[in-house]
Amino acid sequence: MDTHELTKIRNFAIIAHVDHGKSTLADRFIQRCGGLSEREMEDQVLDSMELERERGITIKAQSVTLNYRARDGDTYRLNLIDTPGHVDFSYEVSRSLTACEGALLVVDASQGVEAQTVAVCHTAVDLGLEVIPVLNKIDLPAAEPARVLEDIENIIGISCENAVHCSAKTGQGVDDVLEAIVEFLPPPRGSIDGRLKALILDSWFDNYLGTVSLIRIVDGGLKIKDRIRMMATGRDYVAEQVGVFTPKRTPTQRLLTGDVGYLVAGVKDVKGARVGDTVISSVLPAENPLSGFQEIKPRVFAGLYTVSSGDYGALRDALDRLSLNDASLSYDPETSEALGFGFRCGFLGMLHMEIIQERLEREYGLEIITTAPTVVYEIETAKGEVMAIENPSQLPDPAMIREIREPFIEARMLMPQEYVGSIITLCVEKRGIHKDIQYLGRRVMLHFELPLNEVVLDFFDKLKSISRGYASLDYEFKCFRASDMCKVDILINGDKVDPLSVLVHRKQADYRARELVKRMRNLIPRQMFDVAIQAAIGSRVIARETVKALRKNVTAKCYGGDITRKRKLLEKQKEGKKRMKQIGSVEIPQEAFLAVLRVDGE
Amino acid sequence: MGSINFIVLPPLSLYVHLPWCESKCPYCDFNSHPLRGELPESAYLEALLSDLEFQLPGVWGRRLTSVYIGGGTPSLFSVQGVGDLLGGIRARLPCAPDLEISLEANPGSSDAAKFTGFREAGVNRLSIGVQSFDTALLQRLGRIHDRNQALAAVRAARAAGFDNINLDLMFGLPGQSVAQAVCDIDTAIEQQPAHISCYQLTLEPNTWFHRNPPLCPNEDAIWEMQLAVQSRLAAAGYHQYEVSAYAKNGFRCRHNLNYWQFGDYLGIGAGAHSKISFADRVVRSIRTRHPQGYLTPTQANPSVARSYELTAADIGFEFLMNALRLTQGFSPRLFQQHTGQALSVISPALGELQRDGLLLVDAQCIKATDTGYRHLDGMLQRLLPESTDVASRR
Repeated sequence: MDTHELTKIRNFAIIAHVDHGKSTLADRFIQRCGGLSEREMEDQVLDSMELERERGITIKAQSVTLNYRARDGDTYRLNLIDTPGHVDFSYEVSRSLTACEGALLVVDASQGVEAQTVAVCHTAVDLGLEVIPVLNKIDLPAAEPARVLEDIENIIGISCENAVHCSAKTGQGVDDVLEAIVEFLPPPRGSIDGRLKALILDSWFDNYLGTVSLIRIVDGGLKIKDRIRMMATGRDYVAEQVGVFTPKRTPTQRLLTGDVGYLVAGVKDVKGARVGDTVISSVLPAENPLSGFQEIKPRVFAGLYTVSSGDYGALRDALDRLSLNDASLSYDPETSEALGFGFRCGFLGMLHMEIIQERLEREYGLEIITTAPTVVYEIETAKGEVMAIENPSQLPDPAMIREIREPFIEARMLMPQEYVGSIITLCVEKRGIHKDIQYLGRRVMLHFELPLNEVVLDFFDKLKSISRGYASLDYEFKCFRASDMCKVDILINGDKVDPLSVLVHRKQADYRARELVKRMRNLIPRQMFDVAIQAAIGSRVIARETVKALRKNVTAKCYGGDITRKRKLLEKQKEGKKRMKQIGSVEIPQEAFLAVLRVDGE
Repeated sequence: MGSINFIVLPPLSLYVHLPWCESKCPYCDFNSHPLRGELPESAYLEALLSDLEFQLPGVWGRRLTSVYIGGGTPSLFSVQGVGDLLGGIRARLPCAPDLEISLEANPGSSDAAKFTGFREAGVNRLSIGVQSFDTALLQRLGRIHDRNQALAAVRAARAAGFDNINLDLMFGLPGQSVAQAVCDIDTAIEQQPAHISCYQLTLEPNTWFHRNPPLCPNEDAIWEMQLAVQSRLAAAGYHQYEVSAYAKNGFRCRHNLNYWQFGDYLGIGAGAHSKISFADRVVRSIRTRHPQGYLTPTQANPSVARSYELTAADIGFEFLMNALRLTQGFSPRLFQQHTGQALSVISPALGELQRDGLLLVDAQCIKATDTGYRHLDGMLQRLLPESTDVASRR
């Protein structure tokens, strides 16, 4: 492309539920358009983090630029902006969608539409994107294209006139999808000659380049050596490198209107190139920023501690480095009487938390104790002050509290009809408020307001098991609402273990407390002494269990030369207890700290 | 850690290992090998004495307080062989006048004449590996003897003139009831030996039982057996002085007591361990485990397989690992004399255990409480020096 023609550019996203084949389809596109050699083709090239590939999910937004020679003989530049598929990362989705004019709605032809897809698809339509339905996996014997198309029209409410059938696995119909992109998706608008305005879609830290930002040029152009400014911080930089992903990072001379590519400008950390910020020229600065994204607040908090207190510094360094790439991760030092020094970390959701924990252990070799996650509560004190509580142990004296408010979410659940009854029961058990129910063909969309606290606990697992995996969930934060919450403390041999404290609804306190201590009894191994596990509200004990002491634990034989062998056995046994935290004279395994998560497990 | 400084060296004993048995028992994790063909007695004796000579410079001028001939099955050796061995030892090392010389014997491979011979050669303590008086249980343990042979062995030992006899017993055997365990201990007491060692059967790693675990009594039954064993022995005048050792007054095993008090020992024979203190260090050395390798040492495969200096922290820990097994514990003075370190190096750790009710600490004596004694392993895990696992993690 010698001349820059907007009509030859298409920017699009793929909306798909986990496992519906988004990554495989993207791989096909890359293969088809020659972005990588055979040798470089690794499965699911877009999910570049080891964890992403392992879990089959996309965590960070990414892009790939494809040069496609269409059937009309022209070559088009197709920019695919990848979006994460999990509810925890939904903010990343809307961010990616803003940079596109169109989207492919990829639906598994044997599974049908899921709640997640519905929500994202509605966001896309609201943002004015053209959506092309793509039925994937039509090669499967269980595929029911007609039913699924009906679903799409009924549930999402978009026309399936231009729907394309394909199988990303076999390659069947992939060309038709590419043609549809060229034919039905609009090219970008924008002023080629205008002053530079570019939207930052994502920023991450690269050890060699510093901060790399994925940007979409809305107006004007950007070439290397251009002096630029980040509107939010007002700081000026020089564009050191620009380019596109093919998906290899490929430097180019410039990026022009409608392009999606990357920018390296010597920004020291990701906070300097904030997602949603507008990049402008500092020579000819444009006036108004593009509408960016709202800042995302962490909703779930947990304490992270190292098993051995000597690793505190290493944990801090690791969190520093992870946060370079993950603006949504927050962490503040916190001290626990039981666990020592650690950090209170804020996450977008449970998956985000699990991922961070896994990365700390895998990439940084740390042994982590995670306390039970909690949501943020709003407290209004007797004096009328409002404070946010991220940790139950920070809860002021009950006498000082006028009101505790807990976060509620608006949840949409999509399920086959036969599960509606039991799912409504589940929602009501979880203190949900029924808002709406829609019958869409053979499927039902339920709208509930639910306390986030319950959703964090185990709601999703239960939803999945009740519906045998057929129900899907999407939610967004709704509001804080006054609730009759109380703090349940856990005492181990009479000592309060602050990281085990939980805030629960008063009606459920007794039941929860009993389940919790019972579960902990099974998790705490027998030791030298009886271990009493008590749950208490204030000074009132509401549940108790005892872990009976071992009768004995003595090596029967130990003579001269035996000592080295017996010592090795002791060391091995001790190694086995490594993930246990010594609290007073009691050893508590990591799982016990998370026991609260599974209170009604069995 | 602190420095090591011995003012006087600990007592010195000698262990002799004879690594052959007629067959390998499924619970045994000792360095023993089933005997195939003729016992290479004279070659082995020669190797033992050259092993001893090799170690002599490290103990120059020191006097032996005890000798223990263990195995394997030492009673497989001839009277002549044991005599030559003891003569060889006496010729090379000064011995205390009241030197305790123990020998392990198995009921299946001994006769009265042999016992008399051993006695005449200078053995003054006989340890008989009875394990049980119940023929069915003995079979389950893979032992080659039965109840009658066990009883006969005790009679033979007494007839040979031994007054210091130990019987090794086990409880918690596959399929054993509490009543059977009580019956075994009663039978042992009826024999009136000077010493009884009574072990709970442990399924040690690298044994046949560990790979094919038999159905053993449950925790509560084993506990009941232990209590019964302890009370029967106490009532019969056997005083418990170690986790599994009981003796009549004046008959504690001096050799084993030396281990538990973290004394020094020379070990000779295949796989034998030595622990020798010098003015400023403690050195452990281990000989080649396999009898064949031990008999024919080469440049590439010398008889000493490994030798290393203990760190100050290791010395302190290993002292505790042994001394806390004693019902009487140890005195601060003994710690200082046998580790070359001041008690203050371990007092913070001891303080914690004291706070948790596992240890009694006063100016004269440091010993486990009842709870601590029942949970020695748990207590020792807390005392394990950190350094080694930190090193392995980096």
